[in-house]
Amino acid sequence: MRMNSILNRASRNFLWQHPWQLVLAIVGIALGVAVVIAIDLAMESSLKSFNQAGKAFSGSATHRIVAGDGGLDERLYTRLRVEQGIANLSPVVSGTVKLMQPQQETFSLIGIDPFIEKSLHSGWQNEQKEKFPRELLNRLMTEPNSVLLSEKTAQRLHLQVNGQLKVVTERGPQSLTIIGLLPGNNAISDQVLARLLITDIATAQEVLGAYGGLSSIEVMIDKDTPEALAAIQKVLPGYAMLVSIDSQADSMREMTDAFSINLKALGLLSLLVGMFLIYNTMTFLVMQRRRLIGTLRLLGVTRQQVFKLIIGEAFLLAIVGTIVGIALGIVLGQGLLYLISGTINALYFRIDAASLMVTPLQIAKGVALGIGATLLAVLPPAFEATRLSAVKVLARSQLESGSRRLIKTVGSMSFVLILGGLSLAYFSGNSINFGLASVFLVLFGFGLLTPVVTLAFMNLIERVFGRFLGILGRLPARMVAAEISRTGLAIAALMIAVSATIGMDLMIGSFRQTVAQWLHSSLPADLYVSLSGEKMTAGKAQSDHRLKDKLAGLNGVEMLSTALHTKVSVNGKLTKISVYELNDKFRQGFIFKHQVNDDVWMRFDNERTVMITEPYAYHHGVKPGQQVFLKTDQGELAFDVIAIYGDYNGDQGHLAMSRQNYQRYWPDLGYSGIGVYAKAGADLKQLENRVGELLTAHQAVKSNQDIYKASMEVFEQTFTITETLRWLSAAIAFVGVFSALMALQFERTRQLGILRAIGITSMQLTVLIVSETGLMGLVAGLLAVPVGFLVAYILIFVVYQRSFGWTMAFYSDSGVLYQGVALAFIAALFAGVFPALKMAQTKPAEALRTE
Amino acid sequence: MTKETAISIQQLSKSYQESGQQHAIFSNLEMQVARGEFIVLLGRSGSGKSTFLNLISGIDPPDSGKVLINGTDITGLSEHKRTLFRRHHIGFVFQSFNLIPTLTVAENLLLPLELIKRVTRQDHQHVGQLLEKLNLADRLNTYPDRLSGGEQQRIAIARALIHDPDVILADEPTGNLDLDTAEQVLELLDILVRKAGKTMIMATHSPEVIGKADRVFSVRNKALHAHEFDS
Repeated sequence: MRMNSILNRASRNFLWQHPWQLVLAIVGIALGVAVVIAIDLAMESSLKSFNQAGKAFSGSATHRIVAGDGGLDERLYTRLRVEQGIANLSPVVSGTVKLMQPQQETFSLIGIDPFIEKSLHSGWQNEQKEKFPRELLNRLMTEPNSVLLSEKTAQRLHLQVNGQLKVVTERGPQSLTIIGLLPGNNAISDQVLARLLITDIATAQEVLGAYGGLSSIEVMIDKDTPEALAAIQKVLPGYAMLVSIDSQADSMREMTDAFSINLKALGLLSLLVGMFLIYNTMTFLVMQRRRLIGTLRLLGVTRQQVFKLIIGEAFLLAIVGTIVGIALGIVLGQGLLYLISGTINALYFRIDAASLMVTPLQIAKGVALGIGATLLAVLPPAFEATRLSAVKVLARSQLESGSRRLIKTVGSMSFVLILGGLSLAYFSGNSINFGLASVFLVLFGFGLLTPVVTLAFMNLIERVFGRFLGILGRLPARMVAAEISRTGLAIAALMIAVSATIGMDLMIGSFRQTVAQWLHSSLPADLYVSLSGEKMTAGKAQSDHRLKDKLAGLNGVEMLSTALHTKVSVNGKLTKISVYELNDKFRQGFIFKHQVNDDVWMRFDNERTVMITEPYAYHHGVKPGQQVFLKTDQGELAFDVIAIYGDYNGDQGHLAMSRQNYQRYWPDLGYSGIGVYAKAGADLKQLENRVGELLTAHQAVKSNQDIYKASMEVFEQTFTITETLRWLSAAIAFVGVFSALMALQFERTRQLGILRAIGITSMQLTVLIVSETGLMGLVAGLLAVPVGFLVAYILIFVVYQRSFGWTMAFYSDSGVLYQGVALAFIAALFAGVFPALKMAQTKPAEALRTE
Repeated sequence: MTKETAISIQQLSKSYQESGQQHAIFSNLEMQVARGEFIVLLGRSGSGKSTFLNLISGIDPPDSGKVLINGTDITGLSEHKRTLFRRHHIGFVFQSFNLIPTLTVAENLLLPLELIKRVTRQDHQHVGQLLEKLNLADRLNTYPDRLSGGEQQRIAIARALIHDPDVILADEPTGNLDLDTAEQVLELLDILVRKAGKTMIMATHSPEVIGKADRVFSVRNKALHAHEFDS
C-alpha cells in the first residue's frame, strides 16, 4: 500500500470520527455557494427571460421602432412599407393577459403578421421542428380571437386544440380559441414558448384594446445599406425611435446593473461569512490533530506531505460542499427569482413569467467559487499544520500565545484596512464597485480587529464579574479569552453579519422615512383618478378631456391637476417624461435639491424648459443651466434644464415638463392621471363616490392615503430581496458560531470533565458554557453597533447614491441598535445551548478519558 | 479498638459494551476501608483501576452493588446529588494533573472551596500558606502551563485537600513524573494525607508506594486480590 493512501486514511478516519465538524464544514461551504449561485441564477434568469421573450418575436431583426407608452400608430407601418418602400418590416402588438383559471398565470400575448418575409421569421417560428402548416397561419389571420400556444403548456393546463382559453385583460374577460399547438425542440425553446400566446395583429389589438396601434415594428437592415436607416429616421414621428436590438438589450442590462451589483455584493457577504466558517472549521480540524500530525512528522512524513494532506482533505470537502451548495442554490434561486423579478417589475421594466434558467457557465462559476473560497480559507491552517514540530507537540496554551501575537499584529493591520475602506469610499468617484469594496474593507477590517477588542472586553468582564461572582463568574470570560484563536473568529463572523444587518436596517429605515416624506409632499390632491389603457387608442385624448371637464364641474371640487407619463427621445435615448398641469399646491410638493430662482415656475410653464429628477441628473451628469435635446415633431430641439428635484419613483430618473410646453411639440395623448382637490369641508367619501360614477371600467379613483399605502407596499416589496439575503448571511454566521462552539466544547471535553469531577453540577456546567457563548454574542453585538452605523453611512451616502442617484437623510433608530445587539446575543446564546446540553449530559468518566 | 469504616463496597459490578457485546470489568467486588487507611491498588494498564476509583467517587455509576462512603450509599443518589456529595467529601488526584488551564494556581486551589461556600480572606491566606508549604508561594498567579510536571502535581494534591475531604482518590499520581519528583510527590501525599488522617485509595504501578500502604490489592480477572506481606 502506498504511503499516501495510508496517510489519507488516517486523515479520513479522523473526519469520520468527527461527523459534526464534517457536516458543519460542508454546510459552511454549501451555504456560501448557494446564496451566490441563487442570486446569480435568479438575476440572470430574469434578464434572460426578458431578452428571450423579445427574441420570440424579434427573430432576426436588427432594429426595432419603438415609442413611449402610447405605442406606434399602425399607419406608420404602411407609410414605411408603401411610401418609403422599406422591406423586411414586421409589425408587433404585444401585451399581457392573465388566465382566469386555474392559477391566474400571466402570459404574453403577441400579435404578428404571419406572412412576413421568411428572413424576418420570429424566434418561435424558427424554433419549430418542421415547417409550420400554412393552413394554421391562414386560420390565425381569418378566425377572430384565435391563438397558438406551446404543446407543453397545453399539456400542463389540460388544454386542447379548438378549446377555449379564458383570459382577462385591461378590457375585461375575453375568450380565445386555441387553433394549434407549437412543439418545442430544445430547452430554450420550451422556456421561450412556455408563457407565450401567438396571434395575429388584429386579434391582439382587439384583445388588448390597442385599436390602430402597434407596440413596435421589427426591422432587418443589411449592414451594407445604412441608407435604409436614414430613410426610416426621416419619416419617424417625434414620439418614435429606431433602436438597435443589441443596444436595447444592453440598456436593459445597464439599467439593472446597479441593482444586480448590490445583490451580488450581498451574496458575496454571505460567502465572506461562509469563508470565516470554513477557515474556523479547518483550523479546528488541523489543531485537533496536532498530535497525529506531530507523530506523522516523527515517522518521516514531510511538511509538503502534511500540506498536501490538508489541502486534499479541504478539496474533497469543497467538492461535496459545492455540489450541495449548487443544488441548494438552484432551489433558493427559484424562490429568489420571484422576489427579483418582482423588484425589476416594480423598478425597471416588465418581466412576465420568468423561469429559472441554469447554464453550464453558471454551474462552473459556482464550482470555481466553492472550491476557490475553500482552498483560500484553508491555506492558513494548512501552513500552520506544516509548522507543527516533529518532536514536540505544542500545548494548546503555547498555540494560543502564538495566536495572541498574531491577533495583535492583525489588529494593527485592521486599521489600515478600515482607513483604506473609508478613503476608498471618499475618493473613488462614482464607482459602485469601489463603493461596495469600501464596505467590504471596513467590515473585514473590523472583523480583524474583533479578537483584540474581545480580549479587552473579556478582561473587563472578568474583573467586574469576578469581583461579585468569584472564580465561576470569572471563568466564562477567561474561557473566551484563553481560546481567542477560535472564539475570536466566531465572534468576528457574527459581528460582520450583525453589523451588515444593522447597516442595512438603518439604510432601509432611512430610505423608508425619506420616501414617506416625499410621498406626503408629492401627493397634495385629495383624490387621484388613474386613466390607464393604451394611449394610442383612438379618441382617448378627447375622452380624457371630457372627463376632466366633468370632474371640474363636480360639486365639492376646488381645482384639478393633471399628469401624463410618457416617453420621448432625450439625447438619443427613450426617456420617461412627466407632463404636468400644476396648481400652487402641487408646486409646493416639489422638493428641489438646490436653490432655485423665483421665476422657476414661470419659466417652467412658458419657456422651452424641463426639470429633471435627481437620478436623471446623476446618471446623465446633467446640471441646471445645461440643455437636453428632445426629439419633437418639429425635429430635435434644445430644452433648458432649470431645476433638479427629488423623486423616488424609479432609479433611472425622468424629466418633467409643463403641459403647455409639451403640447407645442407633441400630439395630445390625454392624461395618465388627474388630481382632484376638494373644497374645504367637502365630504371626501361622497366626492370619491361622485368621481367614481363618472369613470369607466378601466379607470379608477383612489384617495391620496390609498396611493400612499400602495406606494409604501411597493417600497417594502422592492426590499424583500435585500431583507431575505441579509437574513441568509445572518443564518450562515449563526452556523459559524454554532460550529465554532461545538468544536470548542468538544476540544475541551476533558477540561469540562475535570470540573465535573471536582464537583461542578451539570446545571452549573450548562450555565458556564451558555454564559461563555452569551459573552461572545454580547461583544459581537456591541462591536456591531458602531460598525453597523458606519456601514449604513457608506451605504446611504456612497453606495446607494452611486447606484441609484438618490440622496436620502440619515435616520438613526435606536430600536435597530438594540435589536442588533439582541440578535447577536441571542444567536450566540442559542448556538451555545446545544453544545452546553451535550457537554452537561456527557458522563464525567467518559470526559476524563478523552484526550 | 475497631476503626470506623470510611468506604464500604458491596457486590459491586461494572461492565462496558463493545461491538454489541457486554464485557465485565468487575463482578461482585467487596471491600471495606477504615477511616485513615491507605489502600494501594496495583494492576496492569486497562485492568480497571481508574474505573474502580471512578465508581467510588460516583463519577461513574455501577451496574449493580453499593458504594457507601461514611455510611452514605452514593449509588442510590441521583447524578446531581452524587456531584454535590463528591464536592464535599472527595478529593481527586489524577495522573495527568488535570489542573484547569484557564485558571491561575491560586484560582485552581480556591475553586473547590468556592463550590462549597463563599470564599473568605482566610481562605486566601490558607491557600498562600499551603503554597508556601509546597515551596510554590511565588507561583500564586501563574497559569498551570508555566509549571513543571512535579509542580503541577503538587498543586493538584493541594487542590484535592483544600476543602478538607474525607476521602482522597489518587489515580497513578506519579505516572507522569521522573523518579525523584515521584518520590517528592509521594512524600507530600504521606505528609498531607496520611498525617491528616484522611482515607486514601491510590491506583499505581509504582512499587515504592507499597511500603507506605496499609493494605495492597491488585485488580485481576474482574476481582480484587489482597496481597499479604510479612510484617
